[in-house]
Amino acid sequence: MAVTRLGRNENLNGWAFIMPALVLLGIFMVWPILWSLWMSFQTGRGAMTQFGGLANLERLISDPVFLRALRNTLMFLVIQVPLMIVLALLLAVALNNPALKGRSLFRTAIFLPCVTSLVAYSILFKSMFATDGVINGFLETLHLIDAPIPWLGQPDTARIVIILAITWRWTGYNMIFYLAALQNIDKSIYEAARIDGVPRWAQFLRITVPMLKPVILFTTVMSTIGTLQLFDEVNNITTGGPSDATLTLSLYIYNLTFKFMPSYGYAATVSYVIVVLVAILSVLQFLIAKDRK
Amino acid sequence: MKINAPLLRNAIALGLSASTLAMTTAWAEEITVWCWDPNFNGATMQEAAARYTAAHPDVTFNIVDFAKADLEQKLQTQLASGTTEGLPDIVLIEDYGAQKYLLSFPGAFAPLNDAVDYSAFAPYKVELATVDGQTYSLPFDSGVTGLFYRSDLLAEAGYDAAALQDITWDQFIDIAKAVKEKTGHPMLGIDLNDAGAVRILLQSIGSWYFNADGTPNIENSAEFRAALETYAKILTTTEIYKPVSGWSDYTGSFTSGEVASTFTGVWMTGTIKAANMSGQWGVAPLPRIDGIEGATHASNLGGSSWYVLESSEEKDAAIDFLATVWGQDVDFYQSILVNQGAVGSFLAARDGAAYSAADDYFGGQAVWQNFSDWLGQIPGVNYGIFTNEVDAAVAAQLPTLAQGGSLDDAIAAIAAQVKSQIQ
Amino acid sequence: MIRLRSLITYGLLCIAAFVSVFPFFWMLIGTTNTSADIIRGKITFGGELATNIANFVAQVDVARVLFNSAYLAIATSVLTLLVSSLAGYGFEMFRSKFRERIFAGLLLMLSVPFAALMIPLFVMMARAGLINTYAAIMLPGIASIFIIFYFRQSTKAFPHELRDAAKIDGLKEWQIFLHIYLPVMRSTYAAATIIVFMANWNNYLWPLIVLQTNEMKTITLVISSLASAYYPDFGVVMVGTVLATLPTLIVFFLLQRLFVQGMLGSVK
Repeated sequence: MAVTRLGRNENLNGWAFIMPALVLLGIFMVWPILWSLWMSFQTGRGAMTQFGGLANLERLISDPVFLRALRNTLMFLVIQVPLMIVLALLLAVALNNPALKGRSLFRTAIFLPCVTSLVAYSILFKSMFATDGVINGFLETLHLIDAPIPWLGQPDTARIVIILAITWRWTGYNMIFYLAALQNIDKSIYEAARIDGVPRWAQFLRITVPMLKPVILFTTVMSTIGTLQLFDEVNNITTGGPSDATLTLSLYIYNLTFKFMPSYGYAATVSYVIVVLVAILSVLQFLIAKDRK
Repeated sequence: MKINAPLLRNAIALGLSASTLAMTTAWAEEITVWCWDPNFNGATMQEAAARYTAAHPDVTFNIVDFAKADLEQKLQTQLASGTTEGLPDIVLIEDYGAQKYLLSFPGAFAPLNDAVDYSAFAPYKVELATVDGQTYSLPFDSGVTGLFYRSDLLAEAGYDAAALQDITWDQFIDIAKAVKEKTGHPMLGIDLNDAGAVRILLQSIGSWYFNADGTPNIENSAEFRAALETYAKILTTTEIYKPVSGWSDYTGSFTSGEVASTFTGVWMTGTIKAANMSGQWGVAPLPRIDGIEGATHASNLGGSSWYVLESSEEKDAAIDFLATVWGQDVDFYQSILVNQGAVGSFLAARDGAAYSAADDYFGGQAVWQNFSDWLGQIPGVNYGIFTNEVDAAVAAQLPTLAQGGSLDDAIAAIAAQVKSQIQ
Repeated sequence: MIRLRSLITYGLLCIAAFVSVFPFFWMLIGTTNTSADIIRGKITFGGELATNIANFVAQVDVARVLFNSAYLAIATSVLTLLVSSLAGYGFEMFRSKFRERIFAGLLLMLSVPFAALMIPLFVMMARAGLINTYAAIMLPGIASIFIIFYFRQSTKAFPHELRDAAKIDGLKEWQIFLHIYLPVMRSTYAAATIIVFMANWNNYLWPLIVLQTNEMKTITLVISSLASAYYPDFGVVMVGTVLATLPTLIVFFLLQRLFVQGMLGSVK
C-alpha cells in the first residue's frame, strides 16, 4: 500500500507523541525486565547463582506453598474485582446526579479510604475484627451470631476480612475514573432517552455502561493486575495466615526474596506467573469488551 | 544490553539537573550504621558512637534507622546487585538470619576474629555468627527468655513467686487454668500465625529445626516432637489464652492488663514497663519441657548483632570502634541497660552495678540479674539458613493443632513443606 | 415513587460514606490517644494530642521530610502527566498496527511485579552514579504505563471532529494537543493528577531502596520506621499518618470541582 504524504506525516506525528515515553520505558522498564527474565533461569542461594535452565519451573510445579498462594490469589481476584467494579460504577452514577444534595461531601467521603494510611487502617481492621471487637459485638447485639467469630483466626473468615479491606480501600479510587469519564458523556443523549420514556435502569445499561466501556475496561484490567499483585493488605492485616489462607503470590515473592534464603531466580519465576496470568486475563477482557460492541 | 553509564549520566544531568538536589559526600572518617529502632538499638548505637567520638574526634557517625523489614530489603537488594555503592559500614542483623546472610553473600562481611575477644561473649551468640571457624559479628542484644507474669493476678489465684520456680509446662498449664478460673483473666495471648513459641521451646532443650549438617531435624526428632507437643497442649487448652492477631495485638493483650503472662525475650521488658503497672509484674524462669534429656529453663527469642561490611571504606575504623566500645566498655553496657533496657551479650557487663539493681516495677526483683544468669545457660544451637522457611511451615500447622489435629499429621505436613522449600 | 427511590439512594450513600469515613475519623481520634488505647481500638477522643505532636516533632525533622516528599511528588507528577498524556494521546489518535503491538507489550510489562525489577534497576542507578539522588527515584516513574493506558482509554471519548476542525483552521499537531485537547480533557487530567500525586506521595519501596541518608527520607519512610519499632508509639504514628494524608486530600479537594464540569461544555 502506498503511503500518502499526509499518511507519512500522521505516522511521524504518532511517533513524536509517544517517543519520550518509549525512550524512558525502554531504559527503565524493558531493560530491567530482560534482566529479570534472565534471572528466572538462575538457581542458587543469594549471590551464588548458576544457570539452572528450567529448574525453577520444575520447582514451581511441585511447590505446595506456591500452589496455595496461586489458589488464594485467584480466589481474591474472582470475588473481589467484580464486586468492587460494580460498586464503584453504581456510586459514580449516583454521585453524578446533579439533583443530589451534598454531592461533593459524599464524593470526598468515599474517596477517603484510599488516602487513609495503611498503618492506621490495618490496626483498626484488626481491632474491629478481633474476637472481642466491635464487629462481633454488633452481630451479637443483633442476635445474628451466638458465639463470637474469631475472624482472623480461621481461614475463610480471614479471607472475608481481606476482601472487605481491599474493597473498602479501592472502591472510591475506581469511582474517580468513572466520575471523570461520566463528564465526557454528552448530556443530550440522556435528554433524548428521557423524552423517549426510557427508564433509568435501561439508560444506565444502554447508555452509561457502553459509553464508559473504555474506562471500565481500563479499571478492570488495572484492578486485575492490582489484585494479582495484592500485598499490602495481607502483609499488614494477616501476614498471609492463618495456615497460609491469605498468602498471595506477591507475598510469597516477598518471602522468597527477603524473608527466606534469597532465591532471586525462583522469585522472578513466580513473578512471571503473574505476568502470564495477566496476559491471559487481559486478552479475555479485551475480547469480551469487543464482543459486546 | 550494556548501559553506557557516562552517557546516561550526562543525559540525566542535562535533563534533570534540578532534581539531583543532594548527593552524599563521603567524609574522610564517617562511619555509616544501619539499624532499625531509633529508641532501642539506634539509641544504643548513638551512645556507643558518642563514647568513641570522645576518644577519636576525627571519626563521625551517621546512624540511619529504618523499619527492620525495610532494612532487610535494602541490604539484600544491594548485596544482590553486586554493587557496593550505598552500602553502610556497619549493619544490624537479626540472629536468626545471620547464617543466611553469611552463606548467601560470601565475602560481603568482614570476619572480626583478629580484633574481638569472643570468649567475653555469651557462647550461643558467637556460635550463630560463625562460619568455618571465622566469626563475623559483634554480638549485641540477647533475646534471653523468661516468663513475665502479673504478680497481683497470680497472687489472687494463690501463686507466689516461689510457686513459679522450676516448673514444667504441664504445671504451667494447671496454674493457667487456676488463674483463669479464679480471676477470669486468660494466662496468655497467642497468635496462631507465629511460631516463635515453638522456637523458644526447641532451643530450651538444646535443639533446633536442623541437624549439625543442615538437614531438617523434624521427622523422627524426639526434640521437635516434644516441643510441638508441648505447644499443642497449650493450644488445645483454649480457655487459658486469648487469640490475637499480629504484633501490636499481641503486646496489647498484656499491656492492657487483660492477659496475665507472656513468655518471651528480655527485650519485652521495655514494653511491659511502659504499661504503667508498677509493682504488678514479676519475672520467672521459663517453664521446662518434661521428660526430655537436656531440658533447661533458659532459651532465646530474637536478638541481633552488628556486622561490618567487607566493602566498607572505613572498615578498620568500624572494627576498632566495635572492638573497643562494644567489646570492652563495661560502663557502656550499664548505660544502655539503664537507658534502653538493652541486655547485651557481653558477659563481663553482668558484674556492673546496674545489673544487680532491684526494680520496683517488678516488685523489687533484680530482673536484670536473673536474665543475665539465664543468659549464660542458653543452649547453643546452629540456627542454620532456613529457619524462616521452617517457621512458615510450622505456623501453617498451628491452627490445625489448636483444633485438636493429630500431631503426627502436623509433623508430616511440616516435613513435606520444608522438603519442597529447601532448595 | 421517586421520593422513595431518592430516600433509598441517600440511605445507601450515607452508609457508604460512614463506612468510608470511619477509619479516617478514627485515625484523627488516634492522634489524641495513647498508644495502648489505639491498639485497643478506642473510639473516643483522648487528651494526648499535644504530647503526641510534641513527641512526633521531637523525633522527626518535619519540615525536611515534608519538603522531600512534596518536591518528589510534585516534580514527578508534572513530568508523568506530561510524558504519559502525550503518549496516551499519541497511541489513540495515531493508530498503526505497529504501535498497537507496542501498546499491547506495554500492558504486559505493567504486570511484572516491581519486586522482580528492583535489583536490575538498582544496578543501573548505581552504575549511573545516581544512588541517593531524587533523580533515581523519579526517572523510572515518569513514563507510567498506567497513566498512558488511562489517557488512551479516556481519549476514546474525545470528539475527533474537534481535531479535524482545528486542522482545517491550520493548527499544528502540538497546538491541537495544547489548545484543544488539554482544556477539553480537564476532568481526565484532574483525575490523573489526583492518582499520580497520590502514588508519588505514597511511593515507598523504591525510595526506600535508593535513599541512603536521613536527610533525604520522605514522610512515608519515616512513618514506616516509627510504626515498626519494638514498642511503637501509635499516638505518634497517627500524628504522622494524618500529616502524610493531608496533602493528597488537599489535592483532591482542589481538583474534584473539575469532575462536575462536563467536557463538551468547555469547548466554545
